[in-house]
Amino acid sequence: MLDGLSNSLKDAMKKLAGKTVVDRAAVDELVKDLQRALLSSDVNVKLVMELSKAIRTRSLDEEPPKGMTVREHVLRIVYQELVRLVWASTEVKLEPQTILMAGLQGSGKTTTTAKLARYFQKKGMKVGVICADTFRPGAYDQISTLCTKIHIPCFGNPKEKDAVRITREGLEALKDQELIIVDTQGRHALEADLIQEIVDLNNLTKATHRWLVIDAALGQQASEQARRFHEAIGIDGVIITKMDGTAKGGGAMSAVAETKSGIAFIGSGETVEDLERFDPDGFISRLLGMGDLKALMEKANEALKPEDVDVNAMMKGKFTLRDMYKQLEALNKMGPLKQIMGMLPLGNMQLPEGVYDVTSTKMVRYRIIMDSMTPGELDDPALINSSRMQRIAHGAGATPDEVRELLKYYKMMQRTLKGLRGGGGPGGGKFNMQRLMKRFSGMQ
Amino acid sequence: MFGGLREKLQAARNRLGSSIQAVVAPAEPQVPQPVSSETPAPVLREIPDASVPDEPKPVRFFDKVKTLIIERELIVSEKDVADALSELEITLLECDVALPATDAIIDQVRNGLVGRHRKIGESVDTLVVHALKNALLEVLGTGFDLAEYIREHNKPVKILFTGVNGTGKTTTVAKIGHFLKKQGFTVVIGAGDTYRAGAIEQIGVHADRLGIKIIQHQEGADPSAVLFDTVQYANSHKIDVVLADTAGRFHNKANLMNQLDKIKRVMKPDLVVYVDEAVAGNDAVTRAFEFDKTVGADAVVLTKADMDSRGGAAISIAHTIGKPLMFIGVGQSYDDIMPFEPAQVVDDLLEGGA
Repeated sequence: MLDGLSNSLKDAMKKLAGKTVVDRAAVDELVKDLQRALLSSDVNVKLVMELSKAIRTRSLDEEPPKGMTVREHVLRIVYQELVRLVWASTEVKLEPQTILMAGLQGSGKTTTTAKLARYFQKKGMKVGVICADTFRPGAYDQISTLCTKIHIPCFGNPKEKDAVRITREGLEALKDQELIIVDTQGRHALEADLIQEIVDLNNLTKATHRWLVIDAALGQQASEQARRFHEAIGIDGVIITKMDGTAKGGGAMSAVAETKSGIAFIGSGETVEDLERFDPDGFISRLLGMGDLKALMEKANEALKPEDVDVNAMMKGKFTLRDMYKQLEALNKMGPLKQIMGMLPLGNMQLPEGVYDVTSTKMVRYRIIMDSMTPGELDDPALINSSRMQRIAHGAGATPDEVRELLKYYKMMQRTLKGLRGGGGPGGGKFNMQRLMKRFSGMQ
Repeated sequence: MFGGLREKLQAARNRLGSSIQAVVAPAEPQVPQPVSSETPAPVLREIPDASVPDEPKPVRFFDKVKTLIIERELIVSEKDVADALSELEITLLECDVALPATDAIIDQVRNGLVGRHRKIGESVDTLVVHALKNALLEVLGTGFDLAEYIREHNKPVKILFTGVNGTGKTTTVAKIGHFLKKQGFTVVIGAGDTYRAGAIEQIGVHADRLGIKIIQHQEGADPSAVLFDTVQYANSHKIDVVLADTAGRFHNKANLMNQLDKIKRVMKPDLVVYVDEAVAGNDAVTRAFEFDKTVGADAVVLTKADMDSRGGAAISIAHTIGKPLMFIGVGQSYDDIMPFEPAQVVDDLLEGGA
């Protein structure tokens, strides 16, 4: 999902990795590339300037630690400064609390509210939602429909125009719930009366958290808007939404820097399950071309039994039809393949687009075809000759062409995964500078 | 919405102006240096006239002096404007103009300035404003008069609204419905967003308030069917305009884009309007490009322009797909929409100029 930014950054890094001596010119060149990469990802211009200045100064002034080459030294500084940029992850405690949602119109507050409710519900908490959006028609219908689907009580009144009043009644009605999320109307910082409204809501609810929802596509405005919201109610966390598009979320980065808070969650899909905890190390690792194993594991643990997907076996390049079958089965639970692959440590390898082009209906067909194979065939697809292919097709009610297509898809997946061998490896997601260095050295 | 941009542009303009003035002026008294070996004798070279050269030619010192002596003019060199241009670049980036669009504009301004002959006494300001104005107008193109378009075409005129999630398609449909109704057209709205919870209710309430007929199905219904019915209704009731709302979708979701393609095949829209928000950053370029590529776009509506945005998205999108900007949305009420007139906006941006 952060493909664009990480690709341009990777290009910038690659250029540096090619240098034998890091001199002023090389650092300047890297900094310039870095600037362009960050700017085209919507990171605030001033922030980019500060960041690049810090990297330039530190790279040239600081003495590289013993045993570290000059190149590694610069990369380490880039990493540290980027981590500093996204700040720390916001702590999310599983205890009784009230969360107030704030954000611009159309940033995805309502959808995110439902996702958050689902997240805390899955963690075993009793959650209630108050719909304090009294302006947008259909807002209450939207949140109540979403809440009904996941069996979460939702308080609201589409006839009432006073958000503060609804919230007061809502707090009373939902007082048995451990965690209450207040969804509010979209507003921007120039609408003084609406800013006053959210200040009132904040005073009334005495919210534990005031989270700012930011569209990943938001541009340079992000800093300014975040600053004003922060001044009004004291933002203590940011949620980036719509990360399943092509936007890079640089605006959200700026917002985080502005509010001195952290990114609590990222939203990357349209269903209520599509919410991930934000992990700065993982975020940067992914940015730099390291996979984010930790996020994958977290997601996998929630959705799957351990035997469902054997990431380790996949990483070793041992990938049989049986693994693919499991993967297809897991697909419904874990979301689209691209999302999963994005979390694996694929390094800077580009996956062929064809890998993702298999639609879900096709996935079902593939599973049916594999059901017609013998265990031997599943373990060693090389066995499958044309007469076996006929038999499989016959058994699955498919044509031999479809079987051939499946095998082609399998081979593509296998090739792809083979390329991963030796890369990254399961390190529990802990960022490992040494390993990153090795990867970069290997790249040149 | 272009307030911020205007301020910045004024500053950039002054900077450009003064840097040309500063660098060109002291060049006058210098004695011509010997022409270096790689430079062919320029005696027979045709001197370019004052119009914008097709490609920036290297301006040699000899040319400069010759022009100064013979024609009493000064030539602007690339070096003269480099600093000011890089400042302009930052300005545009700060105003949310995407990187590729920024690069294009900078190139255009550079081409418009470098190699230009400036008559002594001609104001530098005029030169700079002219170059900026040309560059912006080139990018923004002409506007789009919707009412005129509807008058000139067979009724019903079918307009399909597309865009990513949360840009304000539904609100825009309501606003444009209101706008057209005020112009005396009859309007029907098709509630094509059958996916998002509450979307049908949202557009339903808008239509009720505005007194516009709406065709809607259940949540989860096939949007193509809803919009087909809407067109049928318009045909049989002699309605002038069909406004088709759709669910927000990301351009990288093949299935959803295919659905949009199907909608297009089924309802055969006369106009496909792409809706995006003025506060979007660099992604505006990517998604405008993808939407234009997969389902096409005939015009653009930019929403949320009241959010103190610098309007860079307008420039990015126009630069990327070259389609006219039809309306900008500037607030939460139904009247908060205005037709976009590029010439006026550009004049406004550079106001006080030539």
